[in-house]
Amino acid sequence: MTHIDPQVHRVLDGELPAAALTAAQREQLEALQRAARTLAAVPPSSVAHRVMAEVRRTPVAPASLGTRLLQWLGERHAVTITFRPAWGLALAAALAAIAIIPSRGPGPALGEQEGIVQFVGRFPGARSVDVVGSFTDWQPGAVVLRDEDHDGIWRGTIVLPVGQHEYMFVVDGERWVTDPLAGRYVDDGFGRMNALLFVRPLTP
Amino acid sequence: MTAIRLIALLAGLAAPLAAQNDGGRGGDRLAGHVPPATLPALDSIVEDAARAGLPTEPLIQKALEGGAKGVAPDRLVAAVGASAAQLRSASALLRSAGESRPNDPAEVTAVAVALSRGVSPQQVARLGAALPGEPTGPALHAVADLVGHGFAEDSSVDLVIAGAQLGLRGLRFLDVAAAAVQELQRGSSHAAALAHVRAVLPHVPAPPRPAPAAVSRARRVQPSQRP
Repeated sequence: MTHIDPQVHRVLDGELPAAALTAAQREQLEALQRAARTLAAVPPSSVAHRVMAEVRRTPVAPASLGTRLLQWLGERHAVTITFRPAWGLALAAALAAIAIIPSRGPGPALGEQEGIVQFVGRFPGARSVDVVGSFTDWQPGAVVLRDEDHDGIWRGTIVLPVGQHEYMFVVDGERWVTDPLAGRYVDDGFGRMNALLFVRPLTP
Repeated sequence: MTAIRLIALLAGLAAPLAAQNDGGRGGDRLAGHVPPATLPALDSIVEDAARAGLPTEPLIQKALEGGAKGVAPDRLVAAVGASAAQLRSASALLRSAGESRPNDPAEVTAVAVALSRGVSPQQVARLGAALPGEPTGPALHAVADLVGHGFAEDSSVDLVIAGAQLGLRGLRFLDVAAAAVQELQRGSSHAAALAHVRAVLPHVPAPPRPAPAAVSRARRVQPSQRP
């Protein structure tokens, strides 16, 4: 196959004027233009003409899925529906329930005197970790941390009233552990230290 | 502020205050959570505190805490008694400092906790005088935070009062302490850390707000889950 000079190509594409070519390039351009004229003058009885005529006689290939869908949507179709009133009532009740029950929004609605607290503790091998404190009347079970990816890091995020709270972690329901990350502590009067927490309002 | 928001705010403020003092009826809440043998002594401590106008909720909380932690009965009663004594000292301190609300439950509780964290009565009085008629709890805890990191108590109180004079209030005092501790952790000396924070007052950084994803994950402590 003959290589076409890129400059000649650009002239054929109309990007450059022919005057921008060298003499050799202009020769190649003229040769190509002559070939194009020759091809345009091929008589109708040529092989190419006969092939194209055969192609045109061949049935058209099926339309694309999208085209057929559009056609189907635009046509008329006879549809038969069998209807049970009881199912209709059930459907109406379900739709009403969806409309009435509030969907879960982006999180709990917080009052002006509430804030968010994130608890994190590293307890590899623990079966359970509770946060127990003044906000649970020191009873376990109300604030349970989770280790969803089983990496030993237990986490939980809860809503608490703004102000001062004391707490400890309870591991496996029996081991009381001071939060080492709290940074602020107060003697619990029983020989251990409670973590001291100040909750700020989420809305400034 | 709309009337509804105002009512909600007042209700929100009133509820914890009311919870601070239940008139000595602690036995109802303690039964089943502390050793039965301790109930008469605990009731007596709580009733005495109520008669003296002291907040009783911290005493009930201390008893519940001791019960949950499985503390021996005598030690539990002693700890609740010590808490009552601390509340009494805090109230007396507020009264002697000329505080207009010496029996305010939140204030008495805050001062008692600050005293237990090592803040001296003299410095409590200084802060009270610097913040007349205002809650001193966060300022006291800011001083306790600083003292806990080796800062001199006098200088710590000076720094917090400087913040107050420049308009800082409430939990922002804790940010003053946090900024000084951060400077310390960056390698500054105590004196240099204090000087740095004093120079930037009142523009100490506030802690980052929780990410929206964290807020959406937050769960409420359900009343049904509470004992």
